[in-house]
Amino acid sequence: MALLLGLGAAALITAAWFYARTAADEAYDRLLLGAAFQMSENLTVQDGVIKFDLPASAFELLGLADSDRIFYRVVTPDGKTLTGYNDLDTGVDLTAHQSQPVIGNSTYRGVDLRHVTVSRVLTQKSGVVWAHVIVAQTLESRRALAAELTTRATILVAIMCLLALAGSAIAVRYSLHPVDRLGRVLARREPQDLTPLDLDVPRELTPFVDSINRFITRLSERMTLMQRYIADSAHQIRTPLTALNAQVSLIDDEKLAPADRRHMERVRRRASELSRFTNQLLNHAMVIHRFDSVQLAPVKLNDVARKAFRAAVPMTVDPDLVVSFEASPEELMVTGDELSLREAIVNIIDNALRHGAKGRLDVKVGRDGDNGFVEVSDDGPGIPPEEWGNVVKRFYSSRSEDQVSGLGFAIAAEVALALNGRIGFREKTEERPFAIHIALPLIEGGQA
Amino acid sequence: MRIFLVEDTHDVGEAICRRFQQAGHTVDWETDGQAASDILSFTEYDLVVLDVMLPGRDGFSILKKMRQSGSGVPVLILTARSEIDDRVGALDLGADDYLVKPFDFRELEARARVLLRRRAGGEATNLITCGDVVLDLSNRSVTVGRREVQLKRREMALLEILASRPGKVFSKEELLDRLFGFDEEVGENAVELYVGRLRKKLEGATARIVTQRGIGYQLVADGA
Amino acid sequence: MIRRLVTGITFSLVAALPALAIEGAREVFPAPGPQAGRLVIHGATDLETMRPLILDFQQVATGVTVEFVDYVTNDLYRQAEKACAGEAESGDILLSSAVDQLVRLANDGCAQPHRSAETLTVADWANWRDEVFGFTFEPVVFVYDKRAVPVEDVPKSHEDLADLLRLKPTVYSGRIGTYDIEASGVGYLLAFYDARHAPTAYGRLIEGLSRIDTVTRCCNSEVLGEIASGRVRLAYNVLGSYAYRAASENPDLGIVVPNDYALVLSRGAMIPKDAEHPQIGKEFMNYLLSPRGREVARQKAFFFDDGKPLPPGVEGPEALMESGVGRPIRIGPALLAAQDESQRSSFIANWKHLVSGE
Repeated sequence: MALLLGLGAAALITAAWFYARTAADEAYDRLLLGAAFQMSENLTVQDGVIKFDLPASAFELLGLADSDRIFYRVVTPDGKTLTGYNDLDTGVDLTAHQSQPVIGNSTYRGVDLRHVTVSRVLTQKSGVVWAHVIVAQTLESRRALAAELTTRATILVAIMCLLALAGSAIAVRYSLHPVDRLGRVLARREPQDLTPLDLDVPRELTPFVDSINRFITRLSERMTLMQRYIADSAHQIRTPLTALNAQVSLIDDEKLAPADRRHMERVRRRASELSRFTNQLLNHAMVIHRFDSVQLAPVKLNDVARKAFRAAVPMTVDPDLVVSFEASPEELMVTGDELSLREAIVNIIDNALRHGAKGRLDVKVGRDGDNGFVEVSDDGPGIPPEEWGNVVKRFYSSRSEDQVSGLGFAIAAEVALALNGRIGFREKTEERPFAIHIALPLIEGGQA
Repeated sequence: MRIFLVEDTHDVGEAICRRFQQAGHTVDWETDGQAASDILSFTEYDLVVLDVMLPGRDGFSILKKMRQSGSGVPVLILTARSEIDDRVGALDLGADDYLVKPFDFRELEARARVLLRRRAGGEATNLITCGDVVLDLSNRSVTVGRREVQLKRREMALLEILASRPGKVFSKEELLDRLFGFDEEVGENAVELYVGRLRKKLEGATARIVTQRGIGYQLVADGA
Repeated sequence: MIRRLVTGITFSLVAALPALAIEGAREVFPAPGPQAGRLVIHGATDLETMRPLILDFQQVATGVTVEFVDYVTNDLYRQAEKACAGEAESGDILLSSAVDQLVRLANDGCAQPHRSAETLTVADWANWRDEVFGFTFEPVVFVYDKRAVPVEDVPKSHEDLADLLRLKPTVYSGRIGTYDIEASGVGYLLAFYDARHAPTAYGRLIEGLSRIDTVTRCCNSEVLGEIASGRVRLAYNVLGSYAYRAASENPDLGIVVPNDYALVLSRGAMIPKDAEHPQIGKEFMNYLLSPRGREVARQKAFFFDDGKPLPPGVEGPEALMESGVGRPIRIGPALLAAQDESQRSSFIANWKHLVSGE
């Protein structure tokens, strides 16, 4: 930009210099011509003798170029100098008649001159002859004028350059403003939000936004397809899986040989694992899908947590396990989607039941400043801090070979993120058991 | 008890039937939705286990019709549909519980048992309090302070007995009789097992189960 | 024909200078302090007029010895032309009332430019190319003998003078004096400008002069001398400064600044390109153009100054320049027309033909 302006400015200034020189030459050439004509007018023939009366006005005219020196020479038809500087030679052929004034540059007495030669036809007894008037002027005024014009043009060009720079800076900033806005809108977007952008942008940006929207739409369609595929696949798995469980449950262990009984137990466990994983997969797809489509609404945290608690703790839970739920004394309202949130809590409790709790599992709803939280603590070994970042990843296996946590924490973490909340862990200490919580910002006012 | 099962997947239905029959219940099994709906309009059951995806008429529709006709029979919904919205829909329509396929058959049995018992026990609202232990007989829940503690059926029964007369000492034999009846054969130490579990679950409460050595057990509120 | 002005000036020829055959009086003003430099002034200006300025300059530049060489204008010009061609010694500064000659010299490349704080104060019309500067302000006046010219005859304008000559040719025949414009460069310049500025009045004046026997002299001082001697009653085209000096010594002289138009001559100063001590020349130039130099000039040398009222005893319009009566002779290329050889010779021939009857 600056380079372009610089080149442009250089070109302009050069052009201005040529123009100024031409203009100065034209202006001062007129003076020169005027003076020469005036002088040639004063050539007369009296009694056969050529007379010349030098008009002072011609010099006054030339004097308008007030700093220039003037040289002149009046040459008679026989080549003699009538008056003036008799060594002034401009290279013009003085033996021939010049029908047009001849203007040119030459050097005289070591200085550069602009000269004009004008012929004047005179009638003598011998016939028609011609005399010449040569007027020359030094170039100082021309150069001064050209320099001044160039300087002014340069100043103008410089000002225009600055204005252009400032203007284009403003224009660029202004025209990029919608792009900025677009960038901010995109940056602010929830990761799950795959709705097309609805944004007023200048016409020039419309194709850009359209492209983005087309991309978003394609991505959204693709994701929907994938989710549907997963959901459908999961669904297709459900029924045979249920049947498998049913059939397995009908096998009477008592009648099996000890080895078969062991194999049977493994089949059961794997079938149950498969069931659980299928549910998680399905629920994960559901949760993601819901955030695309469901309008968030105020949710009572105690209610959601209690429902989750009931759903997560099976009737068949180990009777030696102490399981408790503690609601918050105050009603805590958060913005969310009840089903997703419940699913998130269910998964945390489920994980604690399966991998954590040995003798005790406590679920507690409470408030911490502007956040409401549901905390699930158990007396198990907990998850070491270095694993906290990993367990929320899908299919991350935190513990030994067969204890795949699957999607449980991932679901919880994704729900928390979608609701502007977070999943937190508390390290096991002597005094306190290990705990995982999901914290969500409370609705303004905190309670309903 | 009479249980009505509506399930179109043959081997699943078969397994459920077998499980319930093994537990001593009478099970009627129907695979077609419309037929099931018709049967329900003139037959009374103690529990209906209803699949959602059915030929003829879907489970929700059947449930809706039942409730509209004023039937209060407990309904447990089985769903294989891909969205949990079904569960909400089911509860909104008056289902008492639901299970998502695939499920654990023991869990199905446990839930069915609860629903059957609730039907048998009636709906009376009744609170028993001892210290900060609150026993809600209507929804079978127990609260210690603010903590809702999940109790097993027998633990709940044990607590109900002890809390009905706080301070009274119940002998082991009495408790054994009331908990298990005469037809069940249980070990000598069954009472001790349940008392131990209940104690653990009431930990931190201001009421305790005190063992009167050689005599029996009593529930005592602190400071009482 | 060269008439040499010889006034009562001390000759101080240090050595025989045969090359300077045309030079006039020469006077050396030794430096009042220890000598640090030498300034050679070639002047076509009365030494007596310049003396107070030179002396005052030496108060400022105490180390400068000033050598003043006096010329008639044409001699000064010829000398300078030679110096320019390298054929003669050049002065450090040229002072001449014939500014057309200085302009011609500058046009021919014989001058060097000079720019200083002082030159910036010079009026536009008195500066050409920063080479030729006008350093005085001298209206051209009529001088008359109060004893011989009755009040009603005293001309107030060029028209009046022409009328006087027409109406009383016999009375004033042989009694009117002016420059010999062939001998005096400044005389020629003034006549030339008269002819340009007021062709009609000039024509009538020349016609009037042709009818009477006009006394022509080479120089102002001689013309004024003729009035003092009683031979000439009225002189025209006298430089105001000379007239005023003479009048201050001779109360019988009256001075009139014509009220139709009055040429104003600014005496020129120029630094020749081959000046030996151009720096001192420029210093002297600065002095002449400085307020101090101008003040000394107004009081002791040239008496008139631009923007100041006319000196006491001088008749004429109050505000010379503002009223438009004063016509400064612009120092510039137009003066080259006056310097043109053919022009000059035909003008002089014409003039002599009419005035002197030659």
